Amino acid sequence: MFDDRSPIYRQIADRIKTEVLTEALKEDERVMSTNEYAAYYRINPATVAKAFQQLVDEGVLYKKRGIGMFVSPQAREVLRDRHRERFFTDVVDPMIDEALAIGVPLADVVRRIEGRDAR
Amino acid sequence: MRFPSRLLVANMFFAVLLWLAALAVTAAIAAAVAVFGDLDQSAWEKVPQIARWYALFTGVALIREFLPMYIAHGQTRREFGGHALVTALLFAPFLGVLFALGYLIERGVYALAGLPPVLGRGHLYADTLQFPVVVAEHTLQFAVWLAAGTFLGAAYYRWAGGGVLACLPVAAGLVLLAESTVGGDLRLPFANRFGLGLDLAWPAAVLAGTGVATVLAGLALTWPIIRDVPLRTTRA
Amino acid sequence: MKVEIDGLGLRYGETAALDGLTCTLDGGKIYGLLGRNGSGKTSLMSVLAAFRRQTFGQVRVAGEPVFENRRVTRRISLITHTGETTDIGTAEDALYFAEWLRPDWDGELARSLMDAFGLAPKAKVKEMSTGQRSAMGAVIGLAGRAPLTMFDECHLGMDVPSRKIFYDALLADYMDHPRTIVLSSHLIDEVAPLFEEVLILDRGRLLLQEETPALLGRGTTVTGPADRVAAFTAGLTVLDERRLGPTVAAVVYGPLDDARRREAAGAGLELAPVPLQDLFVHLTADPAGAPAAAPAGAPAAEPSGEPR
Repeated sequence: MFDDRSPIYRQIADRIKTEVLTEALKEDERVMSTNEYAAYYRINPATVAKAFQQLVDEGVLYKKRGIGMFVSPQAREVLRDRHRERFFTDVVDPMIDEALAIGVPLADVVRRIEGRDAR
Repeated sequence: MRFPSRLLVANMFFAVLLWLAALAVTAAIAAAVAVFGDLDQSAWEKVPQIARWYALFTGVALIREFLPMYIAHGQTRREFGGHALVTALLFAPFLGVLFALGYLIERGVYALAGLPPVLGRGHLYADTLQFPVVVAEHTLQFAVWLAAGTFLGAAYYRWAGGGVLACLPVAAGLVLLAESTVGGDLRLPFANRFGLGLDLAWPAAVLAGTGVATVLAGLALTWPIIRDVPLRTTRA
Repeated sequence: MKVEIDGLGLRYGETAALDGLTCTLDGGKIYGLLGRNGSGKTSLMSVLAAFRRQTFGQVRVAGEPVFENRRVTRRISLITHTGETTDIGTAEDALYFAEWLRPDWDGELARSLMDAFGLAPKAKVKEMSTGQRSAMGAVIGLAGRAPLTMFDECHLGMDVPSRKIFYDALLADYMDHPRTIVLSSHLIDEVAPLFEEVLILDRGRLLLQEETPALLGRGTTVTGPADRVAAFTAGLTVLDERRLGPTVAAVVYGPLDDARRREAAGAGLELAPVPLQDLFVHLTADPAGAPAAAPAGAPAAEPSGEPR
């Protein structure tokens, strides 16, 4: 897991994850180097290296010694599974909380979802 | 130790510029005197009166400007001390030679204009064409002023104004002694008024030895002041 | 280059600028040296660069003492906040001597940095503005490529575009030629991302030394209803508390594990990271003028016990 207390970690990870999910980065494609990321974000390369290491541990990237970081063949799968797992806790539950807090009946919410599904 | 080439070159380059300026100014003054009055003396002879202050200034600048630069560039005080010593010992003769060349130029111009190359005061040399003697006398003169400059510069760098006041008598004594070995007429501020000129009736070898020893003493006195001097940085 | 500092003290007359400072820099990183005015940053760097000799204690760089030791001093560079150290001559002259005295000098880098900062080679150093002098210092410090390069507030006089140029150049050259770089600054949030490790000095001693991400992970702002914040922060080190009506925002110091984070979320509390600058302010604050007591769980003078 990324340390969500370090926003710069999250920025780098999120960018790479988004690129993988949208297939801007394809499987087995090389990711920009640590130094390129460091220069772009104006941050210490060690910070980037740690972010990369986390992505390796998560199975999103793999390392080819002396060449660089590459997108794992299963990266997209892994990320979609992870996002699916977290979808209810991260997206649906807060939405329900919000609806209850402002007095929107859950039935209305359900109707809305079903309406979107029918379209 | 490396040869202090760039330190010397930088100072020599500036000295040549000043020498050219001095030639131009002296020529202008001499021409004015010749036109409006009677030019019956060497004009170039007066130049060391100002040039020795430049030698003093060079000594001060060695400590005030170049010492911090050396340390900031990762050199030790000891390395700087070596470079400064070599620079001082080579720069003074360089000034001596430049000055002696000035006499030769003046000699040529005076000959063309039919003017007499008369010296206004006593020197080790009786004629401006005695090149080695001219160089020797003024080398010693410039060297002692330069040494006094490093001494006072170091005192100022380390202890500010109080240090200069405390060291001034020593520096003045060195200058007085060395100047007295090469000529009786000091033309120092206040010195003549208080009859401070030393009339040394010593053998030539003793005079020369005393002069050289005085210069070395001035440079040697500088070392204990700078050997562990802190670099000035404003504290944040 | 490895830097070992052991019980280091520096006195100016009666004033103790450094008072028994002990720490070790493993080298090969960009270090941030932080501290309030008078905490001893400049004094520490002055001793490390052999600008002055310490009053007591020891400094070793690459295993050797520094003062008047040419084997190590020539591999150390300190650029002070006044930028270039000499007043004589032009920018070109300054480079002429730097090139001659610095064993690892890179003239090409110096020229490209001069261009980037818009410094004219013929400009007289004495007539330069504060910003230009700072830029000149940055050029000399970076192009000197000293294995231990220190910048003491050297970018403070620069305007924003110049500072960005400096940060970019520093990072790029550090990545091309890895070396030990120490940067002191008051513009903490601006430079914090550059640091791999942070040292905070306080009253001439080391308050803490920590890798930047780990240090950032130690500060959390807990925001929510006063009673719930109080219940959650009981037993934690609270560095600061601000109240707005029924809502309290407390800055706590120390890592929060996932269980505690879930607990906070369950209690309807909002957790947010604390920027390094705020963390610094809280850690070095001393409202009563008493010595800054390092918070419990935070390192006091001895950083070695800190988890990495």
